[in-house]
Amino acid sequence: MKRSFLDPSPGTLAFGGLVFTSLVLVAIGPPSARKPWAIENASSPASAPSQVAGPDITLVSVSVDLPDDTVPFPDGPHAAVINANCTSCHSATMALSQPRLSRDQWKAIVEKMRATYKAPVPASAVPEILDYLTAMSGKLPVNGSPTAASADRSGGTG
Amino acid sequence: MGSGALLAAPALGQGLVDLALPGGPSSRPTSSSFPEKGEMILQRARPPLLETPMEVFDQGVFTPNDRFFVRWHWADIPTSIDVQRYRIAVRGHVNRSLAISLAELLRMPRVELAAVNQCSGNSRGLFQPRVAGAQWRHGAMGNAKWVGVRLRHVLDLAGVKPGAIAVRFGALDQPVVPTGPDFTKSISLDHARDGEVMIAFEMNGEQMPLLNGFPVRLIVPGWYSTYWVKMLNDIEVLDRPDDGYWMAKAYKIPDTPHANVAPGTKDFPSVPINRMVPRSWITGWADGQTFSYAPELPVGGIAMGGDAGVAKVEISGDLGRTWHEASLGPDEGRYSFRRFDMTLRVPHAGSYTLLSRCTNTNGVTQPMTPNWNPGGFMRGCVEAARVRLT
Ligand code: HEC
Repeated sequence: MKRSFLDPSPGTLAFGGLVFTSLVLVAIGPPSARKPWAIENASSPASAPSQVAGPDITLVSVSVDLPDDTVPFPDGPHAAVINANCTSCHSATMALSQPRLSRDQWKAIVEKMRATYKAPVPASAVPEILDYLTAMSGKLPVNGSPTAASADRSGGTG
Repeated sequence: MGSGALLAAPALGQGLVDLALPGGPSSRPTSSSFPEKGEMILQRARPPLLETPMEVFDQGVFTPNDRFFVRWHWADIPTSIDVQRYRIAVRGHVNRSLAISLAELLRMPRVELAAVNQCSGNSRGLFQPRVAGAQWRHGAMGNAKWVGVRLRHVLDLAGVKPGAIAVRFGALDQPVVPTGPDFTKSISLDHARDGEVMIAFEMNGEQMPLLNGFPVRLIVPGWYSTYWVKMLNDIEVLDRPDDGYWMAKAYKIPDTPHANVAPGTKDFPSVPINRMVPRSWITGWADGQTFSYAPELPVGGIAMGGDAGVAKVEISGDLGRTWHEASLGPDEGRYSFRRFDMTLRVPHAGSYTLLSRCTNTNGVTQPMTPNWNPGGFMRGCVEAARVRLT
């Protein structure tokens, strides 16, 4: 969902105050383009976080820091290529934690990243990425537990 | 509020656990570096996939908020929420589009319900043959008391137009690449109006941690977590089926009993994952743990009925030939975890494999054989807990 209508311009902020004290439901139009969601108070630790109270509960605004992940793909042939292409959306761990996969299975995953998730990975980088991933899988025990022959798991996730 | 200084330390891990996933890799760091979270198993830092350590489930049927598992798909997650400015849109095939403030939501009629929130891929790391995806052991689940407003109430305020068939939910998280598929999920209109599906603002008596969806998340009792949209800010009534990626392509299971197909199968009719199945775990020890021998062994753990209550839990010490009924702890509601306990007489020192098996109030019993599907979804077989008595 887009965030735009949650970021009322000064002109519409007034209704925020209104609905806070009344139960009027405000009609809105469809959300428009994405915008960063600027938060009042977020950067002024001196002021107390804003609150919304109801019977038996008060919700208090929250501002947190999410730790960043700095663990890269370990050194090896083409580590630079995979680090450049496969760490922008998720930690390297997403790939590093996978069971032993064949080159074809890795290929299906990398293609899904490009086609479905729109990973900006040039076709020319794919063979080197597959070399890296296949070599990585090759370090796991062969007979540990084979992965299924089918590489096609459609969307997957969960 | 807030976690104070950003932990920019190169290693987020503080300890290591071995999840014993067949063939590996199976060791994971543990970390307490995430805001409003205690020690969790670090499956992935960005976006966070945090697994609850099994021993937490031995401490009570409600999972503390700071140990409750965390699962996001896209890394663009707002880190600040201003409760005064937050709005939930209700729009689409309705008579009046609404933007509901939290102040308004908190004054609407409330419901409270205990319910297990379990990832569709919980225990995926134990699938054999292994499959790709998040490599969870059993801790991608938790149970909480949720308080909120019936989705039906909110839909009625907007007035659903004739011809509506489904309701789609969107949230504040966004794809890292703007053209990537935004995470949205939908359920049928009848389901949305069943009086159980809830917009929750309270979790175990408190506001929920940001990483569990603050300020509001959808609760879909008895259904897998993929539908429990976090940071819910968009409710869209549809007059056509949702053909978006997260419903049409991802989170699909074979349309077969237990979502089971022969390993390697790829052409099968599939449906969006939906209702949960009964499960149970012995939580009194870590699998393979050693104790000094005593003639009586306490065996306890937690069970869930899935889309129904827990009717009974049985324990077997002989790989399923004979079963002994455990006693059940207090009933916190049909969608909650339920505690089970029994004492087993152990003839002599040695290694024992104990099994637990739940039957739900619909009469569905956990099967002995694991299911398999390429997504690694919906594991529900009897699980083993090995113990060594010396
Ligand atoms: C444009 C963003 C993006 C980029 C870049 C990206 N991925 Fe992904 N990747 C995703 C998303 C989204 C998921 C699903 C995440 C989830 O389920 O939590 C995913 C999931 C995965 C998974 C889990 C298995 C699966 O099929 O879902 C693996 C492995 C993976 N990515 C590897 C890679 C590799 C290797 C690269 C580099 C070629 C890469 N990713 C680049 C977005 C991306």
